[in-house]
Amino acid sequence: MQKLTGLERILKTIRLEEPDVVPHFELIIDEKVRNAILPGACYEDFIEYLDIDGICIYDKTYTWEYETLDASKRVKRDQWGATVRFTEEEIGHPIKPAIELEEALDTYVPPDPDLPWRYEQLERVVKRFKGQRAVIAHATDPFEVVRDSILGDVKYFKAMIKNPELIHRATKIIVNYYLQYLRNCLDLGADIIWVSGDWAMTKGPMVSPRFTKEFIGPPFQKIVELAHSRGVPCLKHTDGNVWPIIDVILDTGADGLHPIDPLAGMDIGDAKTRIGNKLCLMGNVSCVTTLCSGTIEEVRQETKDVIRKAGEGGGLICASSNSIHSGVRPENYVAMVKAIKEYGKYPLSV
Amino acid sequence: MNNFSEIKESVVQGNCDKVLEMTKVALDSNVPAKEILDKGLIPGIMKVGDLFETGEYFLPELLVSGEAMSGAVELLGPILSKAHIPPAGKYLIGTVQGDVHDIGKNIVLMMLKGNGWDVTDIGVDVSPEEFCSAVEKGDFQILGLSSLLSTTMSSTVKTINALKAAGLRDKVKVMVGGAPVTQEWADKIRADGYAPDAPSAVRIARVLIGKS
Repeated sequence: MQKLTGLERILKTIRLEEPDVVPHFELIIDEKVRNAILPGACYEDFIEYLDIDGICIYDKTYTWEYETLDASKRVKRDQWGATVRFTEEEIGHPIKPAIELEEALDTYVPPDPDLPWRYEQLERVVKRFKGQRAVIAHATDPFEVVRDSILGDVKYFKAMIKNPELIHRATKIIVNYYLQYLRNCLDLGADIIWVSGDWAMTKGPMVSPRFTKEFIGPPFQKIVELAHSRGVPCLKHTDGNVWPIIDVILDTGADGLHPIDPLAGMDIGDAKTRIGNKLCLMGNVSCVTTLCSGTIEEVRQETKDVIRKAGEGGGLICASSNSIHSGVRPENYVAMVKAIKEYGKYPLSV
Repeated sequence: MNNFSEIKESVVQGNCDKVLEMTKVALDSNVPAKEILDKGLIPGIMKVGDLFETGEYFLPELLVSGEAMSGAVELLGPILSKAHIPPAGKYLIGTVQGDVHDIGKNIVLMMLKGNGWDVTDIGVDVSPEEFCSAVEKGDFQILGLSSLLSTTMSSTVKTINALKAAGLRDKVKVMVGGAPVTQEWADKIRADGYAPDAPSAVRIARVLIGKS
């Protein structure tokens, strides 16, 4: 087969067709890991250096606004009004939500999605890679924003039973922000939308299938519908064991599912059999074990196994089981990328 | 007094008002606080744990039932203390250094308290030194270390090593938990116990102090 561009390779794979090689891209590649591999390079240079097929503009890193509250403790206020604490990772975690009392939602003013600076990284990437590599606009799942930044997780979960209207009201505000933000991204040339936010834990879904269907699926589905109305695929990331809620995920119309979490006991070969004809599978080389503490040979073997189990006929984007976080050994990430190119050539012979 | 089963069911249903009201009625009828706890509230929260483990209950139900339980436990606490009723055990819990997630820790805490444990929450992003200091000063039987990120699992190991270095390792049993944590890893780092979720944390804690 004629050599495809990264963009063509990914789009063909998402259409569940067989490309020339199994494609690869990541949700996040931590700056420390990138610097260890290619010191001082910008993200785009790094993508080109490893010849990665797509580049994801992670919203929390490139498009969210933060106000520093306590520099020594690395505490900031995120754009939704939540207090966020940063540790070693690029992404902070909310420690206090924006809304304490329900009444505060009446006067809540969401951030402005149309601010031009939010799109600077996207515009740089589009200018450099458009048509060659997939430009992926990322959005944090509205469920995660409402749960963590707006209401706080405990209040959110309790409200599912005690005050569902509170969740619906807050969710509407966040969905409106994201629909406008993503419309702008698509206008500027994004090829794919990728929504991340966990719906499950290792053991199983965070909430019942009924609640997943009522509260969590619909906001994401609105984003899928926007993507599809513009002829663009929409991918979903969620950690955890999602088998009990797989129908809800499929019903949203998502085009790809990441990472088929191995830590939660999800086997990508099993997923290939069960849902591989419905959406593209993405993952699932372990970034909890192998990529952090495995040998190069173990990384190569696991990458090969993923391709062998789920690569047949296309429909596999080989990637880590979450992200290339700061604990991933740089040499192991490079080994995974090389192994994908080596073992991922179609027709497969793994 | 024969409405223990009603208290239990109200905990299972997560009916805060009813649990509190019935606990007050029981106290007014001179039912010993310990009996209300042992025959009504604890069986209720244990059933909630069972339903969670079998996949019938999820986080919302667990939290709402926990809240219902907490109100009653708060009411009974001073009475139990005054009557010198010992807790089920003493537990120190915290999220390890570099990690600020707390929902998992807080649910374990809630379940332990609901089951009659005296729990001290040392917070999130806790350094090995802070854990050691708390273990040294307190008389805890179990130290629970939570880590939600794969990158902070190493802080759990550092905390266990710090306990060893300070000569405190044998003073407490160490339990580990959190999304990326597995039994295999817990064995590897020589933790005394691992729990995949809050209800099992209560069960394992009992086993570790010989009260199973």
